[in-house]
Amino acid sequence: MRKVAIIGGGATRSGKREATWRDLVQEAGKSMFENIPNLSPKDVDSLFVGAADPGRFAFLLHVAPMVAEYLGIQPRKVLARTELMCASGQAAIRYAWACVATGLSDVAVAFGVEKMYMPDMAEAQTNMSCVLDREWDGVNSLSAPPFFAMTAQRHMLEFGTTEEQMAKVCVKNHKYSALNPLAQFPKEVTVEDVLKSLVVAPPLKLLDCSGITDGAAGVVLVPAEDAKKYTDTPMYVIGSGQASIGNNVNNLASLTEWIPLKIAAREALQSAGIALKDIDIAELHDCFTISEIIEYEALGWCEKGKGGKFIEEEQSYIGGKIAVNPRGGLLGCGHPLGATAILQAIDIMQQFRGEVPKGRHVQDAEIALAHNLSGPANVHSIVIYSRSMR
Amino acid sequence: MQKMDKAQFHRVNRPETIKLPFMLDFYPLEDAKLTQISQFFQNLKQGKLTTTKCKKCNQLLWPPRIACPSCFSNEFDWIDLGKEGELYAFTEVRIGAPLGFAQDAPFCVGLVKINNLTISSRIDNAKHDQLKIGDRLHLKIVELGDGRVFFRFAQP
Repeated sequence: MRKVAIIGGGATRSGKREATWRDLVQEAGKSMFENIPNLSPKDVDSLFVGAADPGRFAFLLHVAPMVAEYLGIQPRKVLARTELMCASGQAAIRYAWACVATGLSDVAVAFGVEKMYMPDMAEAQTNMSCVLDREWDGVNSLSAPPFFAMTAQRHMLEFGTTEEQMAKVCVKNHKYSALNPLAQFPKEVTVEDVLKSLVVAPPLKLLDCSGITDGAAGVVLVPAEDAKKYTDTPMYVIGSGQASIGNNVNNLASLTEWIPLKIAAREALQSAGIALKDIDIAELHDCFTISEIIEYEALGWCEKGKGGKFIEEEQSYIGGKIAVNPRGGLLGCGHPLGATAILQAIDIMQQFRGEVPKGRHVQDAEIALAHNLSGPANVHSIVIYSRSMR
Repeated sequence: MQKMDKAQFHRVNRPETIKLPFMLDFYPLEDAKLTQISQFFQNLKQGKLTTTKCKKCNQLLWPPRIACPSCFSNEFDWIDLGKEGELYAFTEVRIGAPLGFAQDAPFCVGLVKINNLTISSRIDNAKHDQLKIGDRLHLKIVELGDGRVFFRFAQP
């Protein structure tokens, strides 16, 4: 297996954009290629497009060749859309990594794009309601907010987690998104703002939930030995892990203990040859405030049930036990499904390069973990990045 | 948007309204011509919530199957899950319900423990602030208006 590096990337601003799906693709593609001046689209042999639902949101399928056309790429090795709902972008990165590592591809683009704002938002909500088993769970209106609301309710019951503790996750992530020009919500919030925001599905309020977001992003992966041809500051992909248990809510391992995340994390750390304490930055999938709390626990930064206390003690701020979501998270930056993991990767690269504002810069960070969950937290996907080759 | 001079252009035919496409209906297909598990819905029409249990390895499976994921047998018994469940978790959908359900909001949904399964369901006849984890709930069969039926749970 070859070692793999990311040599650069680019993105659109996330948010409610006055732009179509293909406008977003072009904006991010231009930004990506301009970030790597020595790379021509003609050099790219493979393309993976993380896009959760272009069929419903943009009425487009067979989108990978469309992205290739708009980016000036003529793939000659591997081309596909990768759909894994909220982790579609992470799937694109993992496939690109695997293809470069095995020698199948020499220059692979991992791209992500989602256009979620629609003239009628009820249609957008409907599109999101077939993610959980549509005929047996979606039919009961179990889209993400009600599912994670029940997860939060059980976590509160079993471990005494509070709505204030959940609100503090949002406060932290907005503190950092306020310093991120690509963020959908570049604005600080208070615990009171979160608690007083509109109730979506109790106990979750609007600010406990990540947004509906338009956005696109892309990164380029090459064999590590070629990386310095393109940049002095590549970022290395040193490990990865993924695990999934069940799909229908009846068949999940547990609502409040994310066992597939533990399995994925073990695999990711082992493949990278590192320990949890070696990680300086964690980009965790905070689709809801409760998600980040359970993730602290499953990843092992605190004991099971103590995630609420962990944020209350500000252990997940920069300078705490582990810097979690210094990008601003999904809560602060928005969640353009397919683009989210790519945006995490770009921000980590900028952290390593020292290109992020001081207030959210993690000094001397060497290793970062990027995580996405998808569906009813039954699937967890992790990639581990390093500033230096290992 | 910029105003246009309507007299200038030929107006093409487009339908004023379009019926909700069939596959945007959340409820499962239940006719024997359309699904291999129509027995589930036939049982439901008799007032029974059932699911498949593998005859070979005895695994109780939800949702109902036509092939056992443990031993790949096609031989199943339909097991009656009973009429009473226990509330394991619940919430209330206030905003963001999909097309076809939005008119019901706010409404309660929950996870119900029944016969060693934990299945999702609408919770009818319930106010969110009066529901409690552990509440006893009764099976309720609803008809969809087109000959199909589905199940919910309700407070007594």
